[in-house]
This record gives sequence, structure tokens and C-alpha cells, in this order.
Amino acid sequence: MNWLSILIFLPLLAAILVLILPASLRVAYKYFALGACIIQLVIAAYLYGQFNGALAGVSTIDTYQYVEKLPWIRLNLGSLGLLEVDYFVGVDGFSVLFLFLTALVMLIAVIASWNIDKQLKGFFALLMLLNTAIMGVFVALDFFLFYVFYEVMLLPLYFLIGIWGGARREYAAIKFFLYTLLGSVFMLLVMVGLYFSVTDPSTGHHTFNMLHMMNPANFSEGSIFSPFVNYELFGVSARLLGFIILFIAFAIKVPIVPLHTWLPDAHVEAPTPVSIILAGILLKVGGYGILRICFSIFPDIAWSSAWWLGLIGVISILYGALNALAQQDLKRLVAYSSVSHMGFVLLGVASLTPEGLSGAIFQMISHGFLSAMLFFLVGMLYDRVHDRMIYNFRGLASLMPTYTAFVAIGFFASLGLPGFSAFIAEAFTIIGAFNAESVNGLIPRWMAIGGSVGILLSAAYFLWTLQRMFFGNTRLKGGEEWQRLLYDVNRREAIALVPMVGLALILGIMPSLAFDKINASVLSLINLVNTYHQ
Amino acid sequence: MEYSTHISLPVLTALFALLAPLCSFCISAIGGKSVKSGLPATVMIVGSLLAAIFLFAKVWDGDVVHQQVSWFRIGETEFKAGIILNNLSVLMLLLVCVIALPVHIYSISYMRGDKGIHRYWMYLSLFCFAMLGLVLVDNLLLMYIGWELVGFASYLLIGFWFTKEAAIRANKKAFLVNRIGDLGFLIGIAIVYSQFHTLDLLTLFGDNGIVKQAVNDGITWSFSGREMPAAWLSIAGIAFFLGAMAKSAQFPFHIWLPDAMEGPTSVSSLIHAATMVAAGVFMLVRISPLFDDIVLMAISAVGAFTAFMSATIALTQRDIKKILAFSTISQLGFMMVAIGIGQYGAAIFHLVTHAFFKCLLFLSAGAIIHEMHHLKEVSRLDFNTQDINNMGGLRKFMPKTFCLTLIAALALAGLPLSAGYLSKDAILIYAFEWAEMHQGIWMIIPLSLLLTSALTAFYIARFVFKIFFGVFQLKTTFNKNLHLHEAPKWMLYPMFFLGICSLFPLFSYNPFLFEDVWLLKGFEITESLQRVNIYHTIVPAAVNSISIVVIFLAWRWYARFKYPTALSSGLLYKFSVSQWYLDLAYSRLIVKPTQLISRFLYGVDRQLVDGTVDKLGRIIVGFSGVAAWLDRYLVDGLVNGLGKCSFAVGDFLRGSSKGKVQHYMFSMFLIFLIVLLLGLKFF
Repeated sequence: MNWLSILIFLPLLAAILVLILPASLRVAYKYFALGACIIQLVIAAYLYGQFNGALAGVSTIDTYQYVEKLPWIRLNLGSLGLLEVDYFVGVDGFSVLFLFLTALVMLIAVIASWNIDKQLKGFFALLMLLNTAIMGVFVALDFFLFYVFYEVMLLPLYFLIGIWGGARREYAAIKFFLYTLLGSVFMLLVMVGLYFSVTDPSTGHHTFNMLHMMNPANFSEGSIFSPFVNYELFGVSARLLGFIILFIAFAIKVPIVPLHTWLPDAHVEAPTPVSIILAGILLKVGGYGILRICFSIFPDIAWSSAWWLGLIGVISILYGALNALAQQDLKRLVAYSSVSHMGFVLLGVASLTPEGLSGAIFQMISHGFLSAMLFFLVGMLYDRVHDRMIYNFRGLASLMPTYTAFVAIGFFASLGLPGFSAFIAEAFTIIGAFNAESVNGLIPRWMAIGGSVGILLSAAYFLWTLQRMFFGNTRLKGGEEWQRLLYDVNRREAIALVPMVGLALILGIMPSLAFDKINASVLSLINLVNTYHQ
Repeated sequence: MEYSTHISLPVLTALFALLAPLCSFCISAIGGKSVKSGLPATVMIVGSLLAAIFLFAKVWDGDVVHQQVSWFRIGETEFKAGIILNNLSVLMLLLVCVIALPVHIYSISYMRGDKGIHRYWMYLSLFCFAMLGLVLVDNLLLMYIGWELVGFASYLLIGFWFTKEAAIRANKKAFLVNRIGDLGFLIGIAIVYSQFHTLDLLTLFGDNGIVKQAVNDGITWSFSGREMPAAWLSIAGIAFFLGAMAKSAQFPFHIWLPDAMEGPTSVSSLIHAATMVAAGVFMLVRISPLFDDIVLMAISAVGAFTAFMSATIALTQRDIKKILAFSTISQLGFMMVAIGIGQYGAAIFHLVTHAFFKCLLFLSAGAIIHEMHHLKEVSRLDFNTQDINNMGGLRKFMPKTFCLTLIAALALAGLPLSAGYLSKDAILIYAFEWAEMHQGIWMIIPLSLLLTSALTAFYIARFVFKIFFGVFQLKTTFNKNLHLHEAPKWMLYPMFFLGICSLFPLFSYNPFLFEDVWLLKGFEITESLQRVNIYHTIVPAAVNSISIVVIFLAWRWYARFKYPTALSSGLLYKFSVSQWYLDLAYSRLIVKPTQLISRFLYGVDRQLVDGTVDKLGRIIVGFSGVAAWLDRYLVDGLVNGLGKCSFAVGDFLRGSSKGKVQHYMFSMFLIFLIVLLLGLKFF
């Protein structure tokens, strides 16, 4: 069995164990989950260490690493040929970092769910199922397999929000579910279309292999998505339509403005560990999908629609930041800041320059740590007094100095203070976006300048919150009782927080830890786009 | 690129100087509340200072030392990290350490007994590290990192007393205003990178820097195949200048500096007077080859205006620290003008002399506040310890502080024998020569500087006379026999040192001629200026005679109490006291609208964007309701109707088979009759 399969199915094993064990061993569930996550993290770290950054991956199978390919479904469809679905997994520069991120965020999520006491069996089983699905999404190289994992991700999230959430949990859960389902249903259509357009050169059958979809030579003549004939659907080029549908499916996850409104509701209602997973990993699935599927399979359309993607990115940055400025609920503020920060990903990706793409991927990783940390911090406050309205707190710094220090670090890291990862990410996204006009003329320079205003606004809302909630003389809505309840960071919480601070710091000081692994893939993707374009 | 493991001695020493404060920061950060003593921080800064002295002796007017290592690689571009030691960086390194050490020593006394003292040393060390980094690094990206980190340290130190509402508002304001500048810096970096594909300072701006090789023909700005519209060259310069404007508190971004005075006074002296605020000037000098004429003109215009504006504000302020803050802004304006007219050496020279005398002024102010505070605690009276209207006659209580303040004040006013005389004259004279070249309207710049010099002499004389001359105002207010003490000796020693540095001998053997200053000779002198000899005589004479007149006026007004009270009700007075109403304007024009926009957008988000989604959801639910009704009553109704129909038929028919023989007989007879009738009809 291959390392990646262990990574995927280990949490599933934990989930099954949790389901089998009798309820009398309830207390042990979290230890199973914790154990699975720790082993996963070790494996992910090992895979990261062993990963050869010189191999590009992207569209060539030879340069993927830890590849495993097993036949999964073989179905004779008569005149339509043989339906072939493979269990096909592998890792390149785009995915290797996400494995580590997923493992880490999952571990943090388990630590954050330590005090949950409602229906433990279901909770940890679903959490582990979610873990399996996310790992699967990041390594699947067969579109069908990808789609299966992608859909499986939805189910546990729906229940996790709908059962363990806050007051309006059912509304939020349904909203989240329908939003994402809407995207993925249409994705199914495009997937089938691609299946019938592409043939495996070695077998001659149609295939779901994503890598074959990235090679224009594999498209059958006259097929709907063939890059050589301009097939039109409803008066629009089929490839453009396919790109847009896939993009919307992933963009809902990212999320982009105006498809973002599930996010604040889901975050506010979700329990802390689910918020951590949502912000830390789920949003990155969107960004990853755009790179792996939209850009790699439709590079020609990526080129021609880069301007629009850049615009959406800039709008998301500014709109998210301005909305965050108006929030009074701390969790909602962090949620809107996520919209803003993920806008940088889109801007960087759209620039199609090495700096912009690397910055975008780096931003996803960095935001993964930092948003997980911020939601964890918000959760800590909520755990203590079941309130998180900014105006109900003041002067927390005198009461909880260590907590305030962590919040300050989290805020400053998120607003792009040098020394932390977000700085490198945002700076290079901006530089890359700016550079695009000189390099490939895809997005105009004003977009980079517009995006940089988002950096200013993020400083505004974070500093305002710091000033309002943490500094000044202590004054709390709950008075004496809250004073008693608001104890400082305990050991369990410190254990969860310190690694995230450490990673944000290490990546900020030594960005090569990430760049060395992704450089080849980034260049290869740019090369892919450029060859299509010419 | 040689990846030699060998690091040369100067670079090693520079690394030591850089990392020593970082070590002290780490000690404080890890030790937390247990590290209350300022000893680690002070020892480390002594280490940095020794290293700086060594480097200065070795590198000044010698060869440039430059070493770098690979930092990371994006795509095919390699980013390097390195240290550059040339005249500018070793001078700044030495200056920062020389100022930082006295401030550290002073702080031990000044901050004694503060509850948050452990944080104080931590933040101060972080600042020193960031500032030294900013000075030493060899590329724009690293410089930007140092640039933001000093801003961050400044944020922490302004808000050091975080329970004070004014302090935490001030530090937020400082950080945000600086952030605007940071964006400028970042965009500048993006432009330079886009055009030259490197951020290396020496490659870009060195003697044969590629910036100078780029061709600008007025339409396009091109370098080795890459080109941009020519406007971007100016935009790049303006973008960097924007960064410098925010950091060095130039109009319209100066508003954060007066508020920053909420921090401890020792911090104000080091960060908000001597070093950090000068970083903007330093940065502009570093990248000076990038500037075209438009940018230089803009720099000198903004500098001159800032100098004038803040001098007018300083005239009427009552807070001892605010006066000094506006004075700092004004002096930074002088340095900006020097840059704008291309005299980078003069700018740096003024930066150095200003660092000494302004730091001394702040430390004196700190000593006074310290003693006033002490008095407030002892006497249990309530009064503002920073209001100069509460002071007066302090020279009798604090003679040493008085003498030192006097030296610094003379240097600020630019009177002979002080260091300030040399540097300010240099700027003024060069400005006149420059204006001579440009003619016309540009003459306004040196003239406004001359006017500003007079204002400077006036406000600093007012400062000295109101504080040290006349009678102690609190005595009359409270009608009690109150008196102050001289500051503790460990606060005075650093001040003595700075006092000596504020005099001419450190810079030149000749107290009257700036041309003999060794420091200026360390920088490239722009040859293009024609030397107009007359200015070299007239300007110093004019400046000094005007200064003496206004000082005499101030003496009559404030020491002899001949103040024309009608002045205080005038419009101009109000305009000055309220700092040209700029804070109000910003609040109305920028802060409030931004808040409104953000609230409006949130409404849009809830009502329109999310509202559409919700409405869509409701419409679908509505449709499904209709469908459910149709299903229930139409589709199902049809099915049910059919069922009911057959049921009724069945029911009817069932009635016919109840087992009664008579009925059967009747039916049979009926059927037989019908068949018979039908049969008869057919046949």
C-alpha cells in the first residue's frame, strides 16, 4: 500500500473504529481521532521532506510522485465503450503542501473539539470521514475519483454544522450544502463531457484521467471540448462554458464575491473545529481545484479570461475587507477577512506569472494556518463566555495577557506583517500581478494597486478590533461573572496555538521551504498555458 | 554568485550588531515577566555600538563591503539576502547605536517601577533590531521588511500603556497612516521589479547601477528589452516618496506623529525623533538615482511646505512633547528639501545633527515630565504634567537640565557653535543655489525655509522661556510652596553625552563653515550646482540676525510676560492651535466615509447579495409548495378520483350481488327481454 493511500484511509479506519466501539468507551473516541491525525501529520511531513522539488508534475505523469494507479470500475457500456475509472493518486508541487496543511489543520481541529460533549460517536466519525475526503481531493488524479471525494466532503460537513452548530445551524447547513451542491452538479456535466471528449492514447477508451485531459492531442476530433474545433453550446464556445462551470463550482468554495454568502453564515453557526476546517482547508480546495482542473485542463480559456478572474479577485479583496470593517461579531469579521484574503489567491493566479502563482499558493498555505489560528482563538473566547460580539468586551489584555498576545500575533500575521508568511504571500501576489502587464499583458497594473489597498483595509479592521476589544480599561458585558470565566490560555490551547505561530513565522522567514517545492510545478503550468496560447 | 562559507570580518561584525538586539528581544519574549531588568537589552546595545564603531572605522571612506546568500527562489528568479556596508550604512548604523545606548541607559531610570517594564525592553530591542536591519540590508524587499517592523515596534511602544484610551487610538492611527506609506513602498518595489527584475540595491542604485542605464525618452522607459510608459518612472519615485512621507511624517501624512507622543518619552526620543522617522530620509537617499525631475520637485515642495506648516503649529502648542513633535516634523521637512534639491549629503548631515539635539530635547522633556510626575504624586494635586503653562522658572530647580536643553535649543534654532548651525546652513545655502538655477517660482522654497527658520527660533525660544524662565506657575495656581528636583544622575549622564554631540567639534574644526564638515565629504557632492559665493555669507548672517531678533521677542513675551493677549483670540492663533484642522478634515473626509461605505456594503451584502440567495431559496420553496399542491390535488386527485370512481362503480355493482334469488331472477328476465328485443330488431 502506497503512502498516499495510508494518508487517505487511515482516518477512515479511525472513523470505523469509533463507530464500532461501544458508547461506554466514549472518552476514547477523541484519542483515536487524535492518534490518526498525529500519524497523518508525521506521514505528511515525511512525504513533504522526501518530495523532490525538481519534478514538475502538472500534466506529465512521469514527474508525479508517490503515484498509485489501480483499476477501480470497469463497466461495459456496449456501443459507448468500456467505462474506466481508476483509483489514481499522485502528488506534485501543487498538492504536496496541502497534504501537510490538511494534516495539521485536522490535528488542530481535533484538539479544538476536546470539550465537545454532544453525540461524540457521530462527531468524531464524521470528522474522520471528512478528513479522508479532503486528503482524497488533494491527491486524486482521476476526475471521477476527485468528484467522489469532492462530494463525500459535503456530507459530513452538512451534519457537523447542522447538528453541532449554533442557534441557526440548520439554516446555515442547508445553505452551505445547496450552494456547494449547485456548483458540483454542473461540474458533473462538464466531467462527463470531458470524459467523452478525451481518449486514453494507450487503450483507446475514453478516460477520466485528468492528465490526459491536459494534453490537447488526446481530445478526439470533433468532440465537444476539443481545443481544435470551436464547438458552440447556446452560442457560447463549449470550452469557455466548461471552464466557467468548473470555475463557478470551485469559486463557490474559495469563495468569490458574490458567491460568498454561505461563508459568514456557515462560519458563525459552525462549531469551532468545523470553522477551523472550513477556513483552513475547505477554501483551499477551491483554489486548488482552479489550478489543478480549470487552469490545467482549459489553459486556453484561462489565458483569455484572466482579466475577469483578476477583476473578481480585486473585487473580493476590497469587498471582503470593507465588509469585515463593518462587523460586530468577531467570528463574522474573521470570516469576511477570509473572503478578502482569498481574493489574493485569485488575483495571483490570474496574473499567470511565476511570482503571482507562487504568491497565490503561498497565500493559501499561509491563510490555512492563520485562519485556523484565528478561528481557534475566537472559539476560545466563545467557549468561555458564549459571546463573541466585539462591543461586549473591552480591555481583555489586562485580564488575559497571553491570549491577547496570541490574538495580536494572529492579527498582525494576517495583516501581512513581515516575518510572517502572509507578508511574503501578499507581497509576491501584488508584485506578480503588477508584473503581468510587462510579461504577458494579462491583467492591468491598476488591479495590483487596487489589491494592495486591501492590505491597508485589513490593517484597519484588525487594529480596530484590537483597540476595541483588548486594550483600554477592562469592561465586560457579563461583569464580574465573565471576569471569573475568562481565564487565560491553558496548556491544551497553547499546544494547538504554538505550532501555528511557529509555522507562520518559519514560512515567513524561510519561504524557500514552500517555494522550493512548488517552483517547478508553477513554471510547468505557465509553460502549459503558454504553449496552448501560441 | 559565490556561495562561499567564508564570511568576511566586517560582515560578521555587522551581523553581530544586527543580531544582538534580536537576542535581547528573544530573552525578553521567552522570559516574559521574569525579565524586568534592562540589563540584557543595554548590554546587547553596547555590543552593537562597539561593532558599529569598529565597522565605521573600517569602512568609512573605504571600500564597499557587500556579501549575500541565496534566500529563496521564485520561478527562475533568485532572491538574495545580504548586507551592504558603505558610507551611508555604516554612518546610520553608528548613529542608531550611539543614540540608542544613551536612551537605554536613560530608560533604566525613567521607566523604573512601571508594571509593564518587561514588555518595554522587549519592544525596544525589537525596534533596534528592525532599525539596524533596515539600515544594513542590501535589497529592497529586506528593507521593506525592516521598514514595516520598525513601524510595528513603534505601534507597540506608542500603545505601551495600553489601558490609556488616547495611547491605543494613537498607535492605531500611527500604524494605519504608515500602512498607506507601506503600500507606496510596495508598489514602488513592484515597479522596480517589473522593470529591472532585481531588487538588489547595489545592482540597481550602485555606481554603475542599472537604474541609470535605463533609457527614458519621454514616452517609454525601457531597460534591456522591457519597457513601460515613461510615466511609471515618476510613479515609482512618487510611490517610494509616499512611503517616506508616511514614515517621516510629511504633510499630509504627518498627523500620526504628534499623537505618537502618547508613548513613553524615552521612546519618543529614540523612535519618533532621532531614528525611525528619519528612515524615510535614509530610504530616499538610498534609492536616489531613481528620481526624475518631477519627483525631486515634488519632494522639495512637500518638504518645504511641511517644514513651514508644522513650524506654525509648534508656535502655539501647550503640550511639551507636542511642540517637540511638530518641531521634528518641521526638521524632517528640511531634510526632504535637501533631498529634493539633490543634496543627499546635506540631508544625511542634518539627519545626524538633528538626531542628537532632538533626542536631547526629548530626554530633557522626559526629565521634566518625570519630575513633574513625581511632584504630582507627592503633593497629591491634580494637574497636567506636560502642559508648559504649568511650568516656568524651572532653571532654578533643574539647572543641569536647563543647560542641556539650552544647548539643544540653540542647535535647533541653528545658532553658531552648534552642530545644527552647520547642517541647517548647508541646506539653506544649497537651496538658494538650487533656486538660482531653476529661477522663478522655485525661489519660494529657500525663502519659505528662511521663514521657517525664524519660526523655529521663535517656538524653541518660547519653549525654553516658558519652561525655565519666569516663575513656577503651579506655585501660583495652587498657592503652595512646591518645588522640583534635578533629574536622577543616570538620566543626566546620557543627556550630557548628547549635549556634547550637539556641538560643532564632533563634525568640524571650523564652527562657521559647513564645507569643512568631514561627514559631507563622505558623500557624493553634486557638481552641477554653481557655487554662488554671496549666499555662503549672506544666508548665515541673515538667518542668525533674524533668529536673534525673534528670540529677543520671545524673551520679552514669555520670560518678561509682555505677551500681547490679543493674539490668542485671533483666527490664525486658532488655526495653529487646532493644527490646521487636519485631524478634523481626515475624520470627516476619509474615516467617516470609509465607515459609511463599509456599513453600506454590508447592508448590500445582507440585503442584496444574500437577500437574492434567500429569495431564490424562498421562490424555490414557493414553487415546490405549488408543485406539492398540484401533486396533492391534481395528479394525486386524478388518481384518487379514478380510484373513487371505480370504487363507486364497484360499490354499485356489489349491490347487485347480494345473494337474493328474486333479484337474480329479475336481472335475468331483464337481460333476456333486452336480448329478445334487440334480436327482434335485427332480424
